[in-house]
Amino acid sequence: MQNLALPEEVLLSIDKPERYIGNEINAVYKDKNNIAVRFAMCFPDVYEIGMSHLGIAILYDMFNKFEDTWCERVYSPWPDLDKIMRVRKIPLFTMESQEPVRNMDFLGITIQYEMCYTNILQILDLSGIPLLASERTWDDPIVIGGGPCTSNPEPLYAFFDIFYIGEGETRYRRLLDLYKECRSKNVSRQDFLIEAAKIPGLYVPSCYETDYNEDGTIKEFRPLHEGVPGTVLKELVKDLDDTYYPEKPVVPFIRATQDRVVLEIMRGCIRGCRFCQAGQIYRPVRERSVEFLMDKAEKLMKNTGYEEISLSSLSSSDYSHIEELIDYLVKDCTDKKINIALPSLRIDKFSVDAMSKVQDIKKSSLTFAPEAGSQRMRDIINKGLTRDDILNGAILAFKGGWTRVKLYFMLGLPFEQDEDIRGIAELANDIAAAFYETVPKDQRVNGRVQIVASTSFFVPKPFTPFQWAPQNTAEQFIDKATKCKRFISEQLNQKVIKYNWHESDVSMLEGVLARGDRRLAPVILSVYKKGNIFDAWSEYYHHDNWLKAFEECGVDPTFYTTRERSDDEIFPWDFIDCGVTKRHLLNEWHKAQQGIVTDNCKDKCSGCGSARFDCGICVRR
Amino acid sequence: MKVRIKFTKYGVVKYIGHLDLMRYFQKAFRRTDIQMIYSKGFSPHMLMSFASPLGVGIEGYGEYFDVEVADSEDYTLIKDKLNVTMAEGIEILDVVLLPEGAGNAMASVEASDYELEFHKENPLSEELLDKFLKADSVIFVKELKSGPLPVNVKDLVYDIRLIKENVLFARVNSSSADNLRPAALLTALLSLEGKNLEDYPYHTLRREIYRKNGSGELVPMGDVND
Ligand code: SF4
Ligand code: SF4
Repeated sequence: MQNLALPEEVLLSIDKPERYIGNEINAVYKDKNNIAVRFAMCFPDVYEIGMSHLGIAILYDMFNKFEDTWCERVYSPWPDLDKIMRVRKIPLFTMESQEPVRNMDFLGITIQYEMCYTNILQILDLSGIPLLASERTWDDPIVIGGGPCTSNPEPLYAFFDIFYIGEGETRYRRLLDLYKECRSKNVSRQDFLIEAAKIPGLYVPSCYETDYNEDGTIKEFRPLHEGVPGTVLKELVKDLDDTYYPEKPVVPFIRATQDRVVLEIMRGCIRGCRFCQAGQIYRPVRERSVEFLMDKAEKLMKNTGYEEISLSSLSSSDYSHIEELIDYLVKDCTDKKINIALPSLRIDKFSVDAMSKVQDIKKSSLTFAPEAGSQRMRDIINKGLTRDDILNGAILAFKGGWTRVKLYFMLGLPFEQDEDIRGIAELANDIAAAFYETVPKDQRVNGRVQIVASTSFFVPKPFTPFQWAPQNTAEQFIDKATKCKRFISEQLNQKVIKYNWHESDVSMLEGVLARGDRRLAPVILSVYKKGNIFDAWSEYYHHDNWLKAFEECGVDPTFYTTRERSDDEIFPWDFIDCGVTKRHLLNEWHKAQQGIVTDNCKDKCSGCGSARFDCGICVRR
Repeated sequence: MKVRIKFTKYGVVKYIGHLDLMRYFQKAFRRTDIQMIYSKGFSPHMLMSFASPLGVGIEGYGEYFDVEVADSEDYTLIKDKLNVTMAEGIEILDVVLLPEGAGNAMASVEASDYELEFHKENPLSEELLDKFLKADSVIFVKELKSGPLPVNVKDLVYDIRLIKENVLFARVNSSSADNLRPAALLTALLSLEGKNLEDYPYHTLRREIYRKNGSGELVPMGDVND
């Protein structure tokens, strides 16, 4: 029987020991004596979150299909265990073999959100791997980062040996082969990294150098070695039917956040909402065929035993075969007593029908994300959604029996005026009014309508048209949320509208890290040394430590957030080519200033630059 | 039709909590082609009844639950169908058909066999056991919401002996009214020599669970006839 890395008395003294024991259904075990490359794949957050991530499941499956490779999983030990591991000097271990992470050849870390940066240092530290890449030797694994935050990896440059830019399915095989070759020929770690830097899609930060202007902006960013490219083009899978997709994903014992089969129906989004990074960096839209998805759905349900299935994509209503797919699933799953979780579909006759078949209408609520309250602002952000679209959708839903509506908005968008904030309140009010007009008194199921309006604070992200936009200050954010609350309280139907807003401290920090540069690495290191981990969890977030760390490192956070950026500024992430050209983004930024909308990819190509990948919607149109 | 399933839970899976174990078995059935009977409503679930939840960290070698499967199923195939999709340490030992009108697993539990192994210092001895057997009463004080309640542990023990010098075997009452937890038994036992259970780490293993048959005898839960 297997030995666990944690002794019994430790496992019985912590919360949810199941997070650390491995042995789940479909976990992959291999004979390590027949393995050339050991890969630890880490999601730097708690097990239940990490286990819910489809990207990791895809790569885990891919690596383990390589016969010479054993990929195992690693998650962040929760603070209760973190303390014990430090005191008892227990090194961080992988789920499967329960061996120290430091024994592995690679440690891959997915970087999904800025607030997990301190958890990355926790992972390295507990593993006994030097935090700084420059201090590592062949006794340490190669630490490689991937995921959406690598679209600007610079704040983390000091902690990673390599960043993988783009979708993971394409270049790992080549990297592993290079690794095997270099190890067998006794090549130095540094020389291996220089060779890796020549593989498309791989960015090796130690192979580049940055010069700054006097005003703090970037003057030049350049490779240090011959043959290392000046820009790194993102990787992507051209044909999503001809690639890795796990048929036997690991099924956790404890309930993960995503406790269901997840079917990724497509990648990318045809819409170009100007605040949205995902809408740009995953271009062009590529769909999986409906046959592929039906086949996977069958196998996944059979191999996992999940009682629920959910569709995943950025905008499922835009999938060409959505009706066919949902009709199939509704029929198949009803037979098998499997629930279908329908993602936020655009509300139309079809989706209302489908949802009424699979959900308990009385209990479920309907979600709209207009993001902005006024039409003026929706045009600025290029959200192709009118007041009529929203109201008609709501009316359809009310007729179908729904009485609960959730609305998501952003505050602090560029060029925002009080009128735009008032628009949020008015839209919520109009939806409530539509309910009373649509549903006669005697047919009101729960008595009345319930509307929850939530606002988050807008944080400008790299590779979006708003990458030039100044972020609001924390005070502006709070001021706007207060106004929004007041505007709502002035509405006729204010009694049925509930208003929520999020903290502004975290938004400030997210903004700094999102558009940050190499000078932030010491800040992250310093705040980690002060004890910050699990920053994404409000109960563990210590804002003061971040402020102290900025001060000690002589870094002004407002340089990254509220500063105005000129059109021709060189950004820290400009060396990455995400497919969409900077020229296109700038053009979109200028159109935003004039409130001019841009067509989506289905209606008309706007020449964003992604056509050179020669796949997906760019060739299908 | 209802079947009663006997299974083990040992090794690393001893850290799985009871609710998660129930979810585990629901998924396990869905990985087989066994036709199950579901509850009605928007989130249908299987109809299961576990004999007695096993605490986290305790190993079980004779655990039971009842579940309802379609009448068309051949119940003798269920064991093999499940065993190909089990996690290490969870093994189906036996599947029996429950007769019409049999009480469900949870309500039928009367007694359990435990093996309690002291893996560091050993407070057990034949003398200690002698003291226990000769005493008129051995008291454990239960802390209830209504206040402390002294219980005579001896009334709740069917059998007790050493099976190794550091392993105590005990068959104790596990009925819902008079359930005796192993920790309570050990606390009371060690108190006979003024010892504190907290100083002696031990492992708990549940070997078997019993119900009472028509003639009032204790029989394993898997013995369902009459
Ligand atoms: S619809 Fe807009 S916000 Fe949503 S993913 Fe697409 S671009 Fe982003
Ligand atoms: S090139 Fe045209 S069709 Fe292709 S992603 Fe860009 S805008 Fe869309």
